[in-house]
Amino acid sequence: MRTWIFGACLSALVVGGGLKAAYADETCNSPFTAALIKGQEEYLHVWTLGMKGVGDESDKLVTIDVVPGSPTYGKVVDTLSVGGRGEAHHMGFTDDRRFLWAGRLDDNKIFIFDIQDPAKPKLHKTITDLAEKTGFVGPHTFYAMPGRVLVQALSNSKDHTGRTGVIVYSNQGELVSTYDMPTASMGGDGYGYDIGVNPNQNVMLTSSFTGWTNYMMDLGTLVKDAGAMKNFGNTMAVWDVKSMKPIKVLSVPGAPLEIRWSLKPGADWALTATALTSKIWLVRKDDKGEWQAKDVATVGDPAKIPLPVDISIAADGKHLWVNTFMDGSARLFDISNVEAPKEVYSKKIGNQVNMVSQSWDGKRVYFTTSLLANWDKKGEENDQFLKSYDWDGKELTERFKIDFIAEKLGRAHHMKFSARPNSKAIGSTMDVYRSLQN
Amino acid sequence: MKIRISALAIAILWTATSFAEPREPAATASPERKATEFAVPLGLPPMPPRFATVQPAKVELGRKLFFDRRLSFNNTLSCAMCHLEEDAFASTQSKKSIGMEGRTLRRNAPSVLNVVYQRSLFHDGRENRIDLQVWMPLLAEDEMANPSMGYVLDRIGELDDYDAQFNRVYPAEGISVHSVGDAIAAYEATLLSANSRFDRWHFGGEKGLLTKAEVAGFQIFTGKGGCSTCHRIEQESALFTDHRFHNTGIGYRAAMGSGRIHVIPLAPGVTTSMSDSQIDAFGESPRNDVGRFEVTLKESDRWAYKTPSLRNVSRTKPYMHDGSIATLEDVVDFYSSGAAARHATDGILTRLDLSVDEKAELVAFLRTLDGEQRSRP
Repeated sequence: MRTWIFGACLSALVVGGGLKAAYADETCNSPFTAALIKGQEEYLHVWTLGMKGVGDESDKLVTIDVVPGSPTYGKVVDTLSVGGRGEAHHMGFTDDRRFLWAGRLDDNKIFIFDIQDPAKPKLHKTITDLAEKTGFVGPHTFYAMPGRVLVQALSNSKDHTGRTGVIVYSNQGELVSTYDMPTASMGGDGYGYDIGVNPNQNVMLTSSFTGWTNYMMDLGTLVKDAGAMKNFGNTMAVWDVKSMKPIKVLSVPGAPLEIRWSLKPGADWALTATALTSKIWLVRKDDKGEWQAKDVATVGDPAKIPLPVDISIAADGKHLWVNTFMDGSARLFDISNVEAPKEVYSKKIGNQVNMVSQSWDGKRVYFTTSLLANWDKKGEENDQFLKSYDWDGKELTERFKIDFIAEKLGRAHHMKFSARPNSKAIGSTMDVYRSLQN
Repeated sequence: MKIRISALAIAILWTATSFAEPREPAATASPERKATEFAVPLGLPPMPPRFATVQPAKVELGRKLFFDRRLSFNNTLSCAMCHLEEDAFASTQSKKSIGMEGRTLRRNAPSVLNVVYQRSLFHDGRENRIDLQVWMPLLAEDEMANPSMGYVLDRIGELDDYDAQFNRVYPAEGISVHSVGDAIAAYEATLLSANSRFDRWHFGGEKGLLTKAEVAGFQIFTGKGGCSTCHRIEQESALFTDHRFHNTGIGYRAAMGSGRIHVIPLAPGVTTSMSDSQIDAFGESPRNDVGRFEVTLKESDRWAYKTPSLRNVSRTKPYMHDGSIATLEDVVDFYSSGAAARHATDGILTRLDLSVDEKAELVAFLRTLDGEQRSRP
């Protein structure tokens, strides 16, 4: 562990300097991600679930040209099918941004794509023994650490409940170590979902979702099953990231999902949204220096289970996009007073919407539709698309849409930006650090 | 038609040959093939003759197959992922089992404990031998989803840790349709559970072991409640089943009933409610289930399901063939209130009108049926 802890300190310095809004990378990446995109992102990679009756019915990495004015702007420029449907879900870069890791929640395969040529990703390696080697299943979040990738699992191979853990791999895909999620002795429920690291605070936050049985189950069947509905996480855990030890469990009832640390210089707080109870929660230290969580806003009408899913924080820490899956809406919250976020804008994106990615300057916002294969709506309600919007501070204006069913691709899920290595869009982490000092 | 009949006849002949009893060599001297007596715990009948002795090596092989997720098409599911050892070999996480790629199965996973005594298998009794039953989930598209028997045998053969084990236990046949089923059946036959507090009290003569309430519950079970009419207790043993199929009204209600309102837990102490139609707007259409009728096509078998054993019943929630009742208390309420009698068609069930105390006593008795669990010889 020593190597990446040292690297963490270096990166903490970089992040501690604070990143200004001149950089166009996504705001949700690990702070240890190098080669930040300084300008316009060039490609958007969409980790896409295979869908029965659509194309080759297999999961695939779909690459889209997103440079305005390009002859192929808004078009699919590459697809890389990996075979079978294994519940493709999330992706994450290695710290050097050379490789893009993408996981499948059902069969637990992890695909490592080489994106040196981002217009044509290549499959570099497939990890197939996650369950066998670790006992954990459902690789969800891929989070860059120096020379390492943290993988937050959702479940386990013994009983498919939510008891799970965090796995540490080397950038080369070799298993390094595993850590159990905190359980009853600490007030935890053993569940996991997302990872968010704040190097300045030496803190890793984790959130909690549910096990294989629930996330693979049809959503309608699930909500009719009161017993199964009790098998969701109600906690977040605060970890000492250097020692990888949980130090406190916070009560955050109703399945807290994505974790977004504020990127505003000097900020020491993070937000999450609870999918089932439809709340935004703030995690920060109290006056005594103790980490606490409190709900600070309601999203939609919780009685209707709007299902707030992905959230995206603006780089200046003043706004938060919150997608509500059930009504297909993107909602913008003003979080300039993070103790009392207020919804200031909303727009219906489609019949359903899940993921949202915004550029670092907040001017471009991308949305996709798939939540989980068996949670997506059925029939005509099952929109599957990528939509690109411009955001001018007042209104989302659609730039292009790719219909993933018409294009025979499948269910559009997680997005990541990239640019060519020699592109002017790319800057090294140290470049960013130096520019912030000037 | 003639061609089809001939083909069917050939298929039957082939099946009969393929699934025939193992052609065991006369001598069984090697330690791997040595058979040992298998004593049954208090409260269970003698083992069926075929399983009266066990070969530990065969059981170990069957156990490995039972727990091996590599036997499913995408390496995700095994027998043990729906029949969980810590859940008395049932599944307590959801009403209905979740299969390949998350497909919702139609029924709740029954416990495999004491399965060796079952005269028919599955809730609708469509199979009658456990070594044959094994192949149905292996091949069902919504369960382990293997495309064919040959595919399964090839896959096992390709794994480097099975060949030697099969050759030791089945030297004459190695990995085959028969040996795979036979080994898993041998393991399942060792999954016995009894010697419960009830057994020690009722069959073991340990007077005073049950509380007053539990004894009162037993009297309701065998008397006013009429439970033992189907959940039978014999002179020297009890499997708590009559091996028959009954329409309790549960299946009828699911197939023929109108929309319900569901109370949905969102977090501890937080609930909301939605109607069937609201939920069905985003969920899948529930699959119909007509029970034993699907096997026999007899009108009287519509929505009839096999009487389950009640051993370890407190550990195998949720209840009924579709897991639609969450707790033992709710099951007792269901029968007591006459809800069953309204839709049941076989005439056995009547309104019981049990008092609050009687219901509590009956539940207390049911909890005495939790037995010792033995899974290895």
